[in-house]
Amino acid sequence: MGIFDYFSSSAESKRAEEVRKGAVAPDRSERKRCWEARDKFYGCLDKHNVIDSLNGDGKKTAERECAAENKQFEQDCAAAWVTYFKKFRVADYQKKKTFERLEKEGANKM
Amino acid sequence: MPLSFAPATTSKMLRSIVPKCQQQAAAAATRHCSSRRFLSTATAQTQSSCRPMTTASQRCLRSSPTSTYNNSAAYQRRYAHKTVEEAKSRYRTGPFSWKAGALFVLTGGGLVWYFEFEKQRMQRKRVAEATKGVGRPKVGGDFELTDQNGKPFSSADLKGRYSLVYFGFTHCPDICPEELDKMAQMFDLVQAERPGALVPVFVTCDPQRDDPATLKTYLSEFHPSFVGLTGTYEQIKDMCKAYRVYFSTPRDAKPGVDYLVDHSIYFYLMDPEGDFVEALGRQHSPDAAAKVILDHVKDWRGRIKQ
Repeated sequence: MGIFDYFSSSAESKRAEEVRKGAVAPDRSERKRCWEARDKFYGCLDKHNVIDSLNGDGKKTAERECAAENKQFEQDCAAAWVTYFKKFRVADYQKKKTFERLEKEGANKM
Repeated sequence: MPLSFAPATTSKMLRSIVPKCQQQAAAAATRHCSSRRFLSTATAQTQSSCRPMTTASQRCLRSSPTSTYNNSAAYQRRYAHKTVEEAKSRYRTGPFSWKAGALFVLTGGGLVWYFEFEKQRMQRKRVAEATKGVGRPKVGGDFELTDQNGKPFSSADLKGRYSLVYFGFTHCPDICPEELDKMAQMFDLVQAERPGALVPVFVTCDPQRDDPATLKTYLSEFHPSFVGLTGTYEQIKDMCKAYRVYFSTPRDAKPGVDYLVDHSIYFYLMDPEGDFVEALGRQHSPDAAAKVILDHVKDWRGRIKQ
């Protein structure tokens, strides 16, 4: 049993490694796991009022407060995705802000 | 013409101007008129006994053709109002009745419905034909690619059916998988109503990493009917150019280097002749998108392959 566990777990970790490196595209369950890790990380950032976890004070706070979540996030997602999601959070926030500002200025919705 | 109350008024008028004999005759004629339904035979005698009397009997005779005797149905119809009051009330209400009202509402409602239906149809027709003809922006065109089974697949294979074309790549982090799930739902909805009228097509923008086998595994998670297309970088570039799709795949990415592709995220609905019809975006729910597609499919007058 033990030896099978060893083989299957090593196959699993090999696959996970390939996904992280971007050598293979993640399948549905891997995507789901990644999104869940992402949402937990986002949740932690929300708790500490961090939008940008890549630069400046946000990066420091995120490294200090959300290290565990970040580790899991990097574990479950492809490296390119981690960067993408972190940037996306900033872009999405700015988009929302812009919409709010435009709405306040009385812009017409198209 | 309500005749039933005419004898009553005429007899009153006559009484004041005609001699007595005639008055009798008039009264008899009146009786005759009003009691005609009993097919009285007594009137003939009254008339012959008093010759000068003509007006009342004539009036009566004019309105009593011989057919009255053998056609009681026609006679019944002419006396639609049984009493003077009924006739007067009918006169007061004029031509309006619940029947007239219902007819009016039905006709009006029908016209409004037909108008709206035609308006929407014309609008769809305009959208569909906006890209046909000369001097119009041309989206789509001929292509030669490879499908997920490694077989050649060209634009000719899409002719005869509507197709829904989506561009993406298998390493796509969040939007493509969501949109592909949506596309699968849309396809099922269309398929339920018009089986075989629509071909769902996924074209990769990342031919370097997405070979047919990768596409096959990837697409099988979404829908078994999806057609996945890949090719060389040049082929994909031409395809994207034809569909006016923006994509940012690096031309010579080194193996092992992970990258993401920025690309347009519209569904392109193409008609059976391969012409662009409409773009469906993130704002459409699967139901709304399926409705748009079905409406266009129903508008299509040509043949659609089954």
